[in-house]
Amino acid sequence: MSTPGVTVEAAAKTEEKRAKPPARPYSGALVVVEGIDGSGKSTQLHLLKRWLEVGGYKTYFTEWNSSPLVKSATRRGKKRHLLTPVTFSLIHAADFADRYERQILPLLRSGHLVLADRYIYTAFARDGARGCPVEWLRNLYQYAVIPDVTFYFRAPLEVAIRRILSGRPRLKYYEAGMDLGLSLDPIESFTKFQGLTLARYNQMVQTDNFVLMDGTLPVHQLQQKMRDVVGGHIELKRFKNGT
Amino acid sequence: MSELGKRAAETESEPESVRSAAASPNGADSWTTDTAAARVAVGLPTRDRSELSGHLMVLEGTDGSGRSTQIALLTEWLESQGFAVQTMGLRRSFLIAKDIDSLLAKNSVTRYTLALMYATDFFDQLENRILPALRSGMIVLADRYYYTLIVRAAVRGLDHDYLHRIYDLALPPDLTFFLNVRPQISFEREFQKSPAISFWEAGRDLHLSDDLYDSFISYQTMIRKEFVALAKHHGFTTLNGENPIRTVNADLRKRIASYLGIKNIRYKPSHALVHLWQ
Repeated sequence: MSTPGVTVEAAAKTEEKRAKPPARPYSGALVVVEGIDGSGKSTQLHLLKRWLEVGGYKTYFTEWNSSPLVKSATRRGKKRHLLTPVTFSLIHAADFADRYERQILPLLRSGHLVLADRYIYTAFARDGARGCPVEWLRNLYQYAVIPDVTFYFRAPLEVAIRRILSGRPRLKYYEAGMDLGLSLDPIESFTKFQGLTLARYNQMVQTDNFVLMDGTLPVHQLQQKMRDVVGGHIELKRFKNGT
Repeated sequence: MSELGKRAAETESEPESVRSAAASPNGADSWTTDTAAARVAVGLPTRDRSELSGHLMVLEGTDGSGRSTQIALLTEWLESQGFAVQTMGLRRSFLIAKDIDSLLAKNSVTRYTLALMYATDFFDQLENRILPALRSGMIVLADRYYYTLIVRAAVRGLDHDYLHRIYDLALPPDLTFFLNVRPQISFEREFQKSPAISFWEAGRDLHLSDDLYDSFISYQTMIRKEFVALAKHHGFTTLNGENPIRTVNADLRKRIASYLGIKNIRYKPSHALVHLWQ
């Protein structure tokens, strides 16, 4: 029987090592698209994924939607309008952590090219627009690796709103930012909330090295640029299947 | 990186309309920002506590340190003194408590996720139960507070600074008591409560030992060490939780009475609670 003291110290030591990983403890690469709804980012990431798959690269696509673990709580909170800006932020942070720890990081460690539709910057923009302190938000996601490339799709607010509203007329309560009391009209509230979110994104262009993409340009042209940037920043041949 | 910067600079000048939308020339922007900030301030404690006429008192300690027993007794005593009491504990939020229960049961959860779900549970209770109670002048007795959450996550390797900063937004208690007991005593008390030691009480997820007793002792030792450090750092009142319940209770009453200005600290539990009085 080992004495508790020894076990504890040994355990504490391993924990300490685990808590501070080296700057880049993985061989994969992470490409992220960010931007408000209707900025065209998902379409572009989809096309990038097609290109990489057809090219025979080890690719994995992940998006910011609820992981099964946190889903029921998120649904309950949203349906009954129980969430405050802080709990809204925390429940999504838990959700992200689950996906990060069980999916994104293992994939990066095993040498995949991971494509993420939204990443931590979504939380910075959206929860920041809700009024959560920026420093607090940054700390919440501090463990998440910095992407190799972050594409920021920027479209004028009117363009993005038009795209969203033409395809999906019913806006959900939190999606429209109704919890902020910006307006009783969902569309007006949504427009204001997206404007606040957009302003947050714009502030991050410099601080977070976003590659700025003009969401009003033709799809094909944007995609060409995206492929050029990815090819220029990531040594793609490392991700060839079967090598 | 410089390549990225250059590319960003190239496209920077393009969408002028975007910038004007963001900056909102008609002043609507500042109004909405203020509203958002106000909204957070409504839910969250600012450092200004003048609107909170109640008092928040926290009992911290490892498993089996006697917190729940003491809270039951203190509640009765304070109510008999005419104070309205609200209790809180971890994993009791309407929002997410059940989900944490089922996660723990499945043992499939990872450490950041669990830490953040507990944080959600904590802030949901803080904003929706504790702050309203404090605003209406109640005494809130907390059976564990965010310190436990920091301690548990810290022994699982999360950074102390990371954890403390999450709870920067939380309300610091008026009084915090740490009931200090040795792990061996914890074990005996927990075993009296239920006939078997649980997975989480023994910190089995940390793989400290295949022997359940060893695992329990090692885990509780780690937890206790973290608590002792926190108690020192935050100036908790440390009480010897191994003393008889009535001795610990008398000590708690004395300190709470002096804080609240209660003159009479004599107390004998009612018939309903007399079984706790050892």
